[in-house]
Amino acid sequence: MKRLLALTCAATLLAACSTKGGDSGGGGTDDAGVRTGLGVTDSEITLGVMTDKTGVFKNLGLGITQGNELWVEDVNAEGGVCGRQVRLEQVDHGYKADTAKTLYPQIEPKVLGFVQLLGSPITAALKQNLATDKVVAAPASWSSELLDNPYLMIVGTTYDVEMIDGLSYLREEGMIADGDTVGHIYIDGEYGANGLRGARYYAEQHDLDLREVKITSTDNDLTNVVTGFKGEGVKAILLTTSPTQTGSVLAANKALGLNVPVLGNNPVFDPVLHSSPAAGALDKLYVVASSVPFSADIPKAQEVAEKYKAAYSEPPNAGVPYGYAVAEVWGTVLERACANKDLTREGVQAALKQTTSAETGDLVAPLDFSVPGAPATRQVYVAQPDAAAEGGMRYVKPLFEATEAKEYRAPHQE
Amino acid sequence: MEAPTRSAPASARRPRSALRLVRPVLWLALLVVLLALPLYLEAAWLKAGQYMMLGAVGAIGLTMLIGQAGQLSLAHAFFLLAGGTSYTVLSGPTGDERVLGLGLDPGLALLGAVAISTLLGLAFAPVAGRLRGIYLGVASLSLVFLGLYLGQAAESLTGGTSTGRPPAKFELFGFPFSNAGPEIELLGVPLRQAERVWYLFLALTVIAFVLARGAIRGRTGRAWRAVRDNEAAASVMGVGVARAKAGAFAVSSAYAGLAGVMTVLWFDILKPDESEFGTYGINTSIAFLAMVIIGGLGSISGALVGALLVNGLPQVLSLYAADLGWFTGTGDGAFTPALISSFVYGAAIVLVVLFEPGGLAAIGRRMTDLLRTTHSGKDR
Repeated sequence: MKRLLALTCAATLLAACSTKGGDSGGGGTDDAGVRTGLGVTDSEITLGVMTDKTGVFKNLGLGITQGNELWVEDVNAEGGVCGRQVRLEQVDHGYKADTAKTLYPQIEPKVLGFVQLLGSPITAALKQNLATDKVVAAPASWSSELLDNPYLMIVGTTYDVEMIDGLSYLREEGMIADGDTVGHIYIDGEYGANGLRGARYYAEQHDLDLREVKITSTDNDLTNVVTGFKGEGVKAILLTTSPTQTGSVLAANKALGLNVPVLGNNPVFDPVLHSSPAAGALDKLYVVASSVPFSADIPKAQEVAEKYKAAYSEPPNAGVPYGYAVAEVWGTVLERACANKDLTREGVQAALKQTTSAETGDLVAPLDFSVPGAPATRQVYVAQPDAAAEGGMRYVKPLFEATEAKEYRAPHQE
Repeated sequence: MEAPTRSAPASARRPRSALRLVRPVLWLALLVVLLALPLYLEAAWLKAGQYMMLGAVGAIGLTMLIGQAGQLSLAHAFFLLAGGTSYTVLSGPTGDERVLGLGLDPGLALLGAVAISTLLGLAFAPVAGRLRGIYLGVASLSLVFLGLYLGQAAESLTGGTSTGRPPAKFELFGFPFSNAGPEIELLGVPLRQAERVWYLFLALTVIAFVLARGAIRGRTGRAWRAVRDNEAAASVMGVGVARAKAGAFAVSSAYAGLAGVMTVLWFDILKPDESEFGTYGINTSIAFLAMVIIGGLGSISGALVGALLVNGLPQVLSLYAADLGWFTGTGDGAFTPALISSFVYGAAIVLVVLFEPGGLAAIGRRMTDLLRTTHSGKDR
């Protein structure tokens, strides 16, 4: 009976504690007449970072986050945005959608928007939340399938457009001709399917015989696929894969004496390939991306590179300038929202739609977010691996846009 | 709670009435606490709690299959996918050109999804009936790969790996378990999606728990245990061996199907896996196996504790990591919440197998036995 009494006491105690009720978003207007909401105080703007520091994309995640941090330091040194200092709230989801789903409600009330949302499984799982909470987020995933969500801000072009531009580069350089057979290895999923969409479109335009090979992200030895391609007489190999898989394809490409050019979307390359068994076979790889490699000889990229070396010790990758550029675009959107006197989430979304010329000092092609469902840019760089360069890449063709890319209709384009 | 195989000496002599009340009162107290939690916990913690509950529902089904009926199954993740897909298709909007939807009421869709998973489990029963132990384990593993393939191939059902498809928000008799609908406040706490889904999952878990307890305490459970211990003896006693085996597989699949529905509701999306490791992959099957081994094979309440540990630990550690700045290491050698939880439950499995094959449930039983002896004041 004693225990019974104790339990009832405990239960009454529980009821006597105050509940969590009554937290309303800090809405209001500051002295300058700017409306504010979640994630904004009179002295601070908080932006969220949901990244992968420990999972399969930790190198990229770390690079992008460091790029974000460099921009925050710069902008705060210049007096911040809208008279407020910018602060980052970071969480690591380890590339696990279930962890991200749980961490999201914890971080969401603290932030105005997300300057980084890494990983397509995570972006897919949070899609509904972003729409419900009206939070603008910049995913580190470049699938044009995401563009039906008005709260996602994709900085750069999308995988399908990358492929189209890249193929037109190969054709221009005489590496492929109309009617050739071309092999495409892609990871089944958002990333691979979107890259394939672009390749199919281009193949249709130019009568290419496209041989599609679907793999999963865990297939790390692709020698047999390349052997098959050799039998089919492909003139080029297209990759929408992970860096490890890229290494396997390049090594096989050389070992089997196939030696055809290999074209990959922006995530296929990681500088660690220079110290992998495939190091001697990287010269055939062309990577298409709308953000510059770390070593690009444009002033802004070099400035970022210098600041990076002063602040961090890890080997840099292309995530650094990209992370800086995304934050820069966020800055542009915030400035516009500030000019509109509306720093609420709705204000940020409205400002994003009005942003037609986000400039990042050429870190990324100029961006235009005003057309719903369309990629913000269709321009890309072409880069090749170079062990001597910082970041392991040098670019071989500056920003350009192929005519096929201009005419291409993205899946959700109005 | 009673060990299926042991006839506990304690149960031979009924303890005094006051003590007999302890257990139901404790369960009731736990339920009260669980009912009150949404008033105190933030949404993120509720989300983590919901994840533990969906693990619990799946684990209850698996512990009945492995612990009570003696059939090792690694196909649990496949039935999760089957349940999730069935719910999404049955409740999905009609007239979508990309994916198939039947536009049923979500409550009906949930029942339909459980029914479809049960039928799929029955369809596998002929295989399960002929194989035993590790052979059945490997055979059932093939279903996970089948699920991986079908998830990718049947795009009109699953939405494909590229984008997946959102499930219909759950509602019951017109009451939505989302932020829509009437605004309700309880003790000053607005009940929004996180809180509503918490109560929904809690109700489902309680129903799953009570039904399972009933099943293993009744004829069904006795038949399963008889088949597990000795098939020949069981059939001599008049137990239909094939039927008992098929029944166990079907029941377990039904539970996994329900857990699958909870999974898509929890994620707000049905997205088939891109590789064999994912929401419906081998790792999930193994996580469920870990839950039932840690909890104690065959113990329903053990399955709850196992789910709490295996599904809850990574979530809770991640939340603390973000809150308090723990495990902020990066790179290869970093201790991360996911890594630490793998160590913890890996170690737990080894310890259980070495020192207490009955799992946490057996430890719990021993503690209650101790309580009884000290209370009755006599040494037995």
